Amino acid sequence: MTLIASNLTTKGKEEFFLNDISFEMSPGKIYTIIGRTLSGKTTLLKTIAGLIAQDSGTLSFNGNNFDVIPVWKRQVAMVYQQFINYPHLNVFENIAFPLKQRKVDLAEIKNRVQQAIEQVGLEGFEGRKIQALSGGQQQRVALARSLVKNANILLLDEPLVNLDYKLREQLREEFKKIFSSKASEEAILIYSTTDPIEAMQLGGEVIVMDEGKILQQGSAKEIYENPATTKVAEITNDPAMNLVDGEISGKKITFNNEVILNLPKHFKDLPDGKYSFGIRASGVTIDKSGFPFQIELAEISGSETFLHLNNDQIHVVGLLDAVKNFDIGETVKVSFDIEKLYAFGSDGILMSSPYSGTK
Amino acid sequence: MNFKHKYLFLLPGFIVLLGILIFPIGFTVRLSLSSWDSFFPGLDFIGLENYTRLFTDDPRFWESFQRLSFMSVITVFLQYTIGFALAHMVWKEIKFQRFFRVLFLIPMMTTPVIMTVIWKTVFHESLGPVNDFFSLFGVTPLWLSSEALSKVTVIIVEVWQWTPFMFLLLLAGLLSLPKEPFLAASIDGAGPIRKFVYVTFPLMAPISIGAIIIRLIEASKIMDTVYVLTSGGPGTSSETSSFYIFIKGLREFQFGYSAALSLTYLIIMIISLTIIAKMLVKLMIRN
Amino acid sequence: MGTFYVTLKYTAVTLWSMFVIAPFLWALSTSFKDFNSVTSGATYIPWVDFEPTLEGWRVLLRSPAQGGVNIVEPYLNSIFVTSLASFLSILLGTLAAYALSRFTFKAGFVKNDDITFFFISQRIMPPVVLAIPFFIMLGKLGLLDTLLGLVMVYVVLLMPIAVWIMVDFFNKVPVEIDETALIDGCNPIQAFIKVVLPNSIPGMVVAGLFCMIFGWTDFFFAFILTFTEVQLLPVAIVSLNSSITPWWSLSAAALVSVAPLIVVAFIVERYLSKGNLSGALK
Repeated sequence: MTLIASNLTTKGKEEFFLNDISFEMSPGKIYTIIGRTLSGKTTLLKTIAGLIAQDSGTLSFNGNNFDVIPVWKRQVAMVYQQFINYPHLNVFENIAFPLKQRKVDLAEIKNRVQQAIEQVGLEGFEGRKIQALSGGQQQRVALARSLVKNANILLLDEPLVNLDYKLREQLREEFKKIFSSKASEEAILIYSTTDPIEAMQLGGEVIVMDEGKILQQGSAKEIYENPATTKVAEITNDPAMNLVDGEISGKKITFNNEVILNLPKHFKDLPDGKYSFGIRASGVTIDKSGFPFQIELAEISGSETFLHLNNDQIHVVGLLDAVKNFDIGETVKVSFDIEKLYAFGSDGILMSSPYSGTK
Repeated sequence: MNFKHKYLFLLPGFIVLLGILIFPIGFTVRLSLSSWDSFFPGLDFIGLENYTRLFTDDPRFWESFQRLSFMSVITVFLQYTIGFALAHMVWKEIKFQRFFRVLFLIPMMTTPVIMTVIWKTVFHESLGPVNDFFSLFGVTPLWLSSEALSKVTVIIVEVWQWTPFMFLLLLAGLLSLPKEPFLAASIDGAGPIRKFVYVTFPLMAPISIGAIIIRLIEASKIMDTVYVLTSGGPGTSSETSSFYIFIKGLREFQFGYSAALSLTYLIIMIISLTIIAKMLVKLMIRN
Repeated sequence: MGTFYVTLKYTAVTLWSMFVIAPFLWALSTSFKDFNSVTSGATYIPWVDFEPTLEGWRVLLRSPAQGGVNIVEPYLNSIFVTSLASFLSILLGTLAAYALSRFTFKAGFVKNDDITFFFISQRIMPPVVLAIPFFIMLGKLGLLDTLLGLVMVYVVLLMPIAVWIMVDFFNKVPVEIDETALIDGCNPIQAFIKVVLPNSIPGMVVAGLFCMIFGWTDFFFAFILTFTEVQLLPVAIVSLNSSITPWWSLSAAALVSVAPLIVVAFIVERYLSKGNLSGALK
């Protein structure tokens, strides 16, 4: 029961919502689609659901042409980012709706709805009206309704984005548990998000999308270690990976003639020339033997401090593993961990990474 | 979303409307090209003669447009201002709020003709209460039989009848406004007048425009009031375009000509209303 | 709010209220008058200015043969025609409005907004434009002077209102709810009936109210298209006007015709306070 997409393209007035998308998704796996807003994630999910028809390209499921099957026969389930439930029904009826529609008999409906309610932790809420529930609870109802159908494809479109931070973390954990049980049922789970951390945490296969195209597809680990292009590096890191133009010459890396670094081992096969160097915030930190930078902004986050630094033309975000206040404009010494440097060519394509060396 | 079922939804209503309308409209067009009247009944074909006549030889028609514009603009303006004022006053806490709101709605729920009949007795120049009141000052204004005042009387009745409509729409609009801008204005120290000018009025702009346009559309069709109250008179001083068409068609039985009048009227109205609508929208956007 | 503004408010509101009530009071008082009380000048308070009689009211129940104007039958006719036409208009109008709100249509250069405009522009037509053709059309169909003929015509008048209100209403219901119903196994028709309709009741009530109001208050079409067999209330009452101008029965009839809609006014105010009407304008 594989979902295969071939060259899906959907165009808006001027931009591409989907630009030649092809992939293969196998049952029993989680696929996380990560991309910025307007990258085409929702369009893709809606196309898979059948709500939108693509302009060209084909979708097939289980060997059958999916395109001729209307939404209501596709056996998919979808959870939206807005909390979507049937306002005129209570919690139980909401969850039971798809089963009633399928004319499942009442006893079984009760069973399955009960199961779903337990899975999402809403015991005791059966009789409540939707309007009386909090956002998180409403979303759980939506999730329960999508689970109860035992659909072949379960689509979640940024389901946690409208919830507060704590709730998001909590639900993410619960999702993982629910998903592992779903996966064993041979369903395909597709989860879209803009949050790289969320994508990495869910495990599963990651698909990076931007401007309607798939930029990279692979395991979370793979995408983390070897982002295929600078775009991917931007999208899949939070804060975005620092990208600095510089050049390699004479066994040294220079950024803008200001910062001069030694060449790390994994760069040894790179020819001299201009590159876009990438380094995560975790690779940039305060060190008294470093280069002078000015602090533009210091953001305290949990037990760390993110520093927005600039030195003339170079803007980077660094990380201090402590909580400290800085004055804006203060000059500090900043060092770069060369072992964490990425090199991207002028076309943005990865040429060398700390994990896989030079291509 | 795009499913074949969409036709199933749209078509019943669309076809019924089109079906019932197609004959009248088509027929009117055909009629306008004939000279059917009580002397020469029948659908002959005289081409655009009717149209030539109305464009070159019928000042009465164009005068009726003038009158119509004059009366509808004034009426709608009054209805809007009064309606807005009333809506604003019963919007928030006021004693007997419920009572006033229901009361203010009532005129529009009445049958215009019927109320106009009553108004006719009210404005009756010798036996009606209005002139009874004015006689205390020694004047007997000729509400229904003077050229100047007949228009005023029509306007008064229209304002009485339809201000509730504006009132309703505007009150509904006011009730749906978000609270935040007002809170912000209060924090900024704005008094009630400033709040109205800078918060209430701009926020109500889209609704105001909608209400005005709808009311203009309805106002331009004034027929019942004129028919009962003044019969377009005295002379033609309160004759609106639709009344004139009515006379030509159903009183003088010049069917062909009145059909031409009707179509011309329709096109002029559609064009002007669209222009007015667009103008109002631009006005709103600029502010 | 300064006290100046408050006094201003109450004065204005009271003045307007008096203006609103005035014709009703006059009608009420007049309905109890007889020939003399009317023709000798304006009179106001019963028993003080004139001798009240119930003649005006009795006339309403007598049939024309006995010199009265029976308004019971026209009353019922009005109720029937208005209700049926409103019902049909809402039925067809809601369906069409749903289609216009949710789906995209394209036939040549004609698109959704144009179709909506077509529906709504029917309101621009003054009754007079349609009267003659309708007259001829109903004549050919043998529906002149019949209730059904009138219903047909009223549907044309009222459907645009239903469409106007419901399109706006549907635009406010998130389309994702429809989509979820589809995903849950409903075809578009089932999605509409099971999910959209139950949530559209407020909108349909508003549409219904407006349809009833505009339908009940029509005079012109009833005037042109019916004569003796069928009379609607407004026509019956106005026909009183043209005869000997019996002010008393006229007033009584007017008051009677107005009564039901006072009930409607209450209902509308209810809905207003619940915030259900605001959308209809954009």
